Amino acid sequence: MKPVKIAMMGMTHGHTRKYYQTLMDNKKLDWVASCAQDEDAKKVYELYKTGVPCYLDPEEMYKAHPDIEAVVIASANDRHFEQMKWCAEKGIHILSMKIPTFDMREYDEMIAMCDKAGIVCQIELEMHYNAVVQRLKKLIKEGAVGKIKAIQMTNITLSPVWAFPWQGDPKASFGSVQHLKKGDPRYKGGALCDHPHIFDLIRHLTGSDFDYIYAEVAPNLRDGLKVEDMLMAIGKMKDGTSFLFDPSWSRLEEKIKVPGPGWERFPKRMEVNVTITGEKGMLTCDCFGPNVYHNGAPNDRYTVQYTYFDEWIGLIDEFVACIREHKTPMINLKWHKQTIQSMLGCYESIQTGKIAKI
Amino acid sequence: MNLKKMNKGLDFLRDKYGAAKGEITIKDGHCYVGATPLLPGRMERKIIELKKMTENGTLEGVSTLRFASFAAKDTDAKAMLAKELDLAALLGGSDVVRVMAVANGPAINVLAKLANDVNVSVEIGTGLPKGELGYDRHEIIAKRGVACDQTVDTHTPHASIRCWDEKGAVEYTDVDTELFGLTYEEIWNVRAAFALLQGRASAKIWKAAWAKAVKAADLAFKSDAAKAAKTIALKKGPNTNEAIKTSEVR
Repeated sequence: MKPVKIAMMGMTHGHTRKYYQTLMDNKKLDWVASCAQDEDAKKVYELYKTGVPCYLDPEEMYKAHPDIEAVVIASANDRHFEQMKWCAEKGIHILSMKIPTFDMREYDEMIAMCDKAGIVCQIELEMHYNAVVQRLKKLIKEGAVGKIKAIQMTNITLSPVWAFPWQGDPKASFGSVQHLKKGDPRYKGGALCDHPHIFDLIRHLTGSDFDYIYAEVAPNLRDGLKVEDMLMAIGKMKDGTSFLFDPSWSRLEEKIKVPGPGWERFPKRMEVNVTITGEKGMLTCDCFGPNVYHNGAPNDRYTVQYTYFDEWIGLIDEFVACIREHKTPMINLKWHKQTIQSMLGCYESIQTGKIAKI
Repeated sequence: MNLKKMNKGLDFLRDKYGAAKGEITIKDGHCYVGATPLLPGRMERKIIELKKMTENGTLEGVSTLRFASFAAKDTDAKAMLAKELDLAALLGGSDVVRVMAVANGPAINVLAKLANDVNVSVEIGTGLPKGELGYDRHEIIAKRGVACDQTVDTHTPHASIRCWDEKGAVEYTDVDTELFGLTYEEIWNVRAAFALLQGRASAKIWKAAWAKAVKAADLAFKSDAAKAAKTIALKKGPNTNEAIKTSEVR
């Protein structure tokens, strides 16, 4: 198989650095270029010493590398539409970050332009390539606990806003500046926008769609943050499954500019935990555990050091296979639309105080 | 261990990333590629992360290693001890130079010394019911920081999934998406074979390291019989306790 000539764009997303090793290791890829959004993003990119040239202008990158076949769009949410358009016009396949856009008009245009260009557009929901999630899906499919009755899921993390400021900027994160609800000084665009995984995973596990959702925001943990950092949601799927979601930034962090050791203040940076009650049994699941644990440098406090890194490998493998074998990605724009709508349902419910029908 | 599945996994990795030809064989319960013994313990992700901590400044001034390993009845205790002593040399960054042990039935407790003066304790037990997966623990105690592959404040290992089905509770811990379906032991043997065939691990180093570990384990049992510590002369030659290259995405 001819390696796919791939590039990265934006370089401001929190997941950007996680692709580097995979793009370099995978023989099916030839990582030819990167294009940073600005000088600051370029400086951070250069810290990782990938050896891959970095441009500041996409056109300049394309001129130097007209054979680019695919791009990982690793930018702020409000830049995705223009960057997808740029790719679609050139017939370049797209690996999009987890929120293509919250603007449903833009979303439909994205679907249309990718269809018209005949390109692959895969959405990055890397949890599907986690070995524990693979086991979870297998157990549920095999009926280990019978038909699912209820699910509780957390997608709780530290907040990336200090390293990736756009994630605390309502316009850059949510796409427009909208208050959470009447009388609340905060805006949409915080923790919820960072955590689509659980809204997606429940659809795979139950095989059902969302019926309705109800959400509440809590007081923020972080002073000065313009967007929400704590919220919970409950609701029902169309098959009757009841759910409880926690998509908060409930784990505090050090305000460092570049992610690295010592970022976390709570011992574990990121937890995707699942509890499922079924007709025949129940299970609990920690998608990122067990790990190793220490209280050494830099902060001498109890810290969980992850041993899970496979997500990006499987994600990229699927992307390459879709390009070369003309397949549709599991998480494509059309599938992902209801996941985004369910997240918008949370904001609607917060605003109205009522359930939101999805 | 299912050799056929393991070699299929190895072929998959070789094809995907590129590596020399080779296959895994088993002799006396230990996996080899050609004449090179595999050191799967060195490939376990948790051991790699612990090793990184000893080298990247997370831990400073390692003083003591506390290890334990328990397995089902009829498991080869000497091979288990050799594995733990090899990991002690790796994580301690120095060869084992003295061992003293006390054994009784299915258990042996060992106190070892590394050439850099680090103390090592190893508990080995082969008394678990047949079919049990076993349990191990590796704790590094340093002047700055303690690191461990088991969580604090519990003596039961953490599993990724615990499922209570109609028959009772079952636990699952999956650690490798590319080799999904292989057992924990099989996965790290495949990863070890792959590292060897890719040239990231050296056959010469692994042969030497395993020979040292087997000798130290053998002497540990003899020290119990003799009720006296056994000394191991340092061998000249390459450093057998260096980490091999892995990815870093933190």
